[in-house]
Amino acid sequence: MSFSEDKFSDDSRLHLAQIIDNINAGIWEYNINTRAIKWSAGFYSILGYDTNEIECSNHIFFEHLLYHQDKAVFLYALNDQNTNPAKPIQIRLLTKSSGYHWFESTIKRQYDTSGQIIYGSIININQYKQAELQASRNDQHYGDTIRIAKLGSWEIDAATLNLTLSKQIYDIFELQAEIKLSIEETVSFFEPPYRPVIQNAINNALEFCQPYDLELLFRTAKNHVIWVRAKGVPIINEYGRCVTIRGILQDIDSNKRKGLSLESSLNLLTDQNRRLQNFAYIVSHNLRSHTGNLQFMVNLYEETELAEDRTEIFAHIKSISSSLNATIEHLNEIVKIQTEITNERSIISFEAIFNNIQSAIKSNIEALNARIEYDFSQCPQISYIPAYMESILQNLLTNALKYSHLDRQPLIRCYTMKERNHIYLIFEDNGIGIDLDRYGDKVFGMYKTFHQNPDAKGIGLFITRNQIEALGGTIKIESTVNIGTKFTIKLV
Amino acid sequence: MIIPAPAVNAYIIDNNKIYVYGFKKLLSIKDLSNQVTHFNNGSEAIAHLRDPDNAQNLPDIIFLDLSMPVMDGWEFMKEFEEIKSQLGKKISVYILSSSIDSHDIDRAKNIPSISDYIFKPVDVQRLEEIFKDLRGIARQ
Repeated sequence: MSFSEDKFSDDSRLHLAQIIDNINAGIWEYNINTRAIKWSAGFYSILGYDTNEIECSNHIFFEHLLYHQDKAVFLYALNDQNTNPAKPIQIRLLTKSSGYHWFESTIKRQYDTSGQIIYGSIININQYKQAELQASRNDQHYGDTIRIAKLGSWEIDAATLNLTLSKQIYDIFELQAEIKLSIEETVSFFEPPYRPVIQNAINNALEFCQPYDLELLFRTAKNHVIWVRAKGVPIINEYGRCVTIRGILQDIDSNKRKGLSLESSLNLLTDQNRRLQNFAYIVSHNLRSHTGNLQFMVNLYEETELAEDRTEIFAHIKSISSSLNATIEHLNEIVKIQTEITNERSIISFEAIFNNIQSAIKSNIEALNARIEYDFSQCPQISYIPAYMESILQNLLTNALKYSHLDRQPLIRCYTMKERNHIYLIFEDNGIGIDLDRYGDKVFGMYKTFHQNPDAKGIGLFITRNQIEALGGTIKIESTVNIGTKFTIKLV
Repeated sequence: MIIPAPAVNAYIIDNNKIYVYGFKKLLSIKDLSNQVTHFNNGSEAIAHLRDPDNAQNLPDIIFLDLSMPVMDGWEFMKEFEEIKSQLGKKISVYILSSSIDSHDIDRAKNIPSISDYIFKPVDVQRLEEIFKDLRGIARQ
């Protein structure tokens, strides 16, 4: 049954019924007392049926058309006495051929002579509802993605310098409440050395429309220091001036730290590899030079018949043999650096070791009448591998004596210094010095000798540097020819 | 007819005393040269070449080691390139080194006044060829 078929008494009601039947909405009417129910033509058509194609009954509506989960909502709205008309509700109704669709339904009660009548309308909102569901899914998806990416977005208005931050930014800042922050306050979250960097980047974006993409250290409200990526892109107006900077802030801490540690191990490996290659080359060169000489002398021995030549050649063979031995010992020493590195460090006293070495080479010191001063008061002790420290001090001391200046009394000063978290050992002499412009880094190279000193083997400083670097330190040299040399060693 | 070979005047610049002894001995045994002057490093040799007193007694050939203290083979070559035009004599320079590093070999190849690169200890045949060529040039 439809409204238009209803026997309305006057023209206006007929007219109204026609309008109702033609609008894109379904109207229903239900009389509580008589349980009579009426559906408009639109009610049928909106569900995809021809008028009267299905039976207009409560049973059909509740058992066939209304989605079972939406019954409670509908009945609640129907019986809700407090609000009239009841708030629009959203329900799913079964259409003829395209399954359940979403409808918005309004319900209004009215009392007339025949009793209590409830009117209602249904409008198909399926498209909006689907879009809304999709949008909320997208929102959820977007929120999840942003959370997973630890990404927040922000915006600076160029005219007011007002800063707007997304919720996720506050998560990165580890701030509980979404309090309003100024640019200055935000910048203060970055670690001091990075503050000018980010401030300049923002200024350049505002003034010169330069985008930026930086990796910076950041301290959260809970005092966690993390690496963040700060990226900003200026938005310009038609005059090319920056009106807004839009950007992101991303917590990249775990990746960045992995990258940094990878980089430092790579550097270490490259360095070790380079040194190893150099070492292998030098060793092979040095051994080749000895074995070549040996072969040379043996051949000559066979070629010559003179007894005195043979005696001399044999003396050379003996000397090569001892050189070979020395080279093998040097090799051993270098290999020892690597094996001893696993030895336990212990607390050692600079003074005790230094005095031991002094007495061991006492005759050498006395022969040169050298004056040796030391002062380890700034840092008397260090946790170090004892064998390394002995070797380092001994090498530097014998080196200073070996290259002392003949015109003056050798003066050697050795002292320690503490600066920040580092311990330094300084070694100074007034010896003959070395031309660093000419030899530079080669000073610490293997088998590099620079003076015509018969004792020079070119191994001492090479080993010293390796021992220092094996424990993470560095050694630097400053020198002036005929004035003296100063070694600055960062031990730890 | 046997033409007596003109004596070849050679320098050896090398700080390895044993090698120098062997080298001189070999040249003498093989009857290649008895006139071998030894220098411990490049600097001593340059000083000797520069000294006008030695102008009449310049070498035909120089055997040069690379790794030496004070002035190494490369530094010697730099100075030698500067003074060679003033010497008034063509002097062949041979690198005599135990280095088999390709960097060293390529570097030597790129210096025009270096005739060849000989690996230590020494290839006697190669040495004999070098001296034969030298005498050939001297005869012309």
